[in-house]
Amino acid sequence: MAGPLEQFEIKPLAELSVAGIDISFTNSALWMVFAAVLVTCFMTLSMRRGALVPGRWQGAAEVMYEFVANMLKDNVGSAGRKYFPFIFTLFMFVMFGNLLGMIPHSFTFTSHIAVNFALALVIFIGVTVIGFMRHGTHYFRMFFPEGAPIATAIILVPIEIISYFSRPFSLAIRLFANMTVGHIMLKVIGGFVGLIGILGVLPFALLTGITVLEFGIAALQAYVFTILTCIYLHDAIHMH
Amino acid sequence: MPQFDIATFSEQIFWLFVIFTILYFLMSKIALPKVGEVLERRQKNIEDNLGKARALKDETDAAIAKYEAALAEARDAAQADIREASEKAAAEQAKKTEAMVKKLSKKTSDAEKAIADAKTDAMTGVAEAASEIAREATDKLIGVKVQAKTADKAVSAIVGE
Repeated sequence: MAGPLEQFEIKPLAELSVAGIDISFTNSALWMVFAAVLVTCFMTLSMRRGALVPGRWQGAAEVMYEFVANMLKDNVGSAGRKYFPFIFTLFMFVMFGNLLGMIPHSFTFTSHIAVNFALALVIFIGVTVIGFMRHGTHYFRMFFPEGAPIATAIILVPIEIISYFSRPFSLAIRLFANMTVGHIMLKVIGGFVGLIGILGVLPFALLTGITVLEFGIAALQAYVFTILTCIYLHDAIHMH
Repeated sequence: MPQFDIATFSEQIFWLFVIFTILYFLMSKIALPKVGEVLERRQKNIEDNLGKARALKDETDAAIAKYEAALAEARDAAQADIREASEKAAAEQAKKTEAMVKKLSKKTSDAEKAIADAKTDAMTGVAEAASEIAREATDKLIGVKVQAKTADKAVSAIVGE
């Protein structure tokens, strides 16, 4: 019986290395490819006919498009329009990664802190660069709220700086923790089903419920990841 | 925990960037413009149809207004006709009534005259009869022959009272 952590193991499928850095193609990379291919197929094949009255698949693709477009419009406004492709790619990539992880014996690349933190760091740096490009040094006002008494600066500024720099950590760790814990729970409870004979129906029922919940979490965490990105983008464009 | 195995970080992050970048270009260059175009085309189509519908509605409204104007005109004309006809009828009626009244009053006055004549005749007759009865009565009762003139005088004196 495999341990509950075995599902997270990175297994190289093709050893590669450039300038001494290991860039082997692993099961993680394979599932990223699956996610990217599925997203691409979903968004292109369904729109192939580009029908005026959409069919089922086209309707689904349009719903995703409008869902992300509205999320961006509601949270950032029209200034966020040019970041739409990035936000859309982010949402679809994370969501498909989470959902593909629900397939037994698959691999959940979003359960890895390295992947999530890399994404979060790109967002963090990108948002900071956008903030400074739009507002120049005025962007430092982010660390001191408008209208607060100057005497409170000694407390507020460190708090604001800490909260600003904890953004990539909160983004990355939230997704990592949700995915990891959910999968461990499924594995552990799944292990009980076979172990305790006829009484196994109880953990099996529980497992069924948790599986449904995990599908919800897979979609919800992708949404949370994306909407937080939108909120950070809003702060960078409009300040507080 | 495999998540904290730093040795696997470089390969994960490398492939993440490669695959995410490819996906980003596929989305931004191919997939999303297509969806946007379809949505825009649909929006435009809907607006076109709405515009067409609005134009048709305006046309209909104009036709209805025209029809109503014609109807009102016809109604006015009809009412004028009715008024004219009823006025004519009333005038004719008045004329006829007047003629009838004249005729009736003439008849009434004729009749009254005839009654008056008859009355005068009757009164004359009664006076004559009375004077004759009076003369005969005096003759028979007292044997005095009263002259007709005297009797007439006496009768007319009594009747005249």
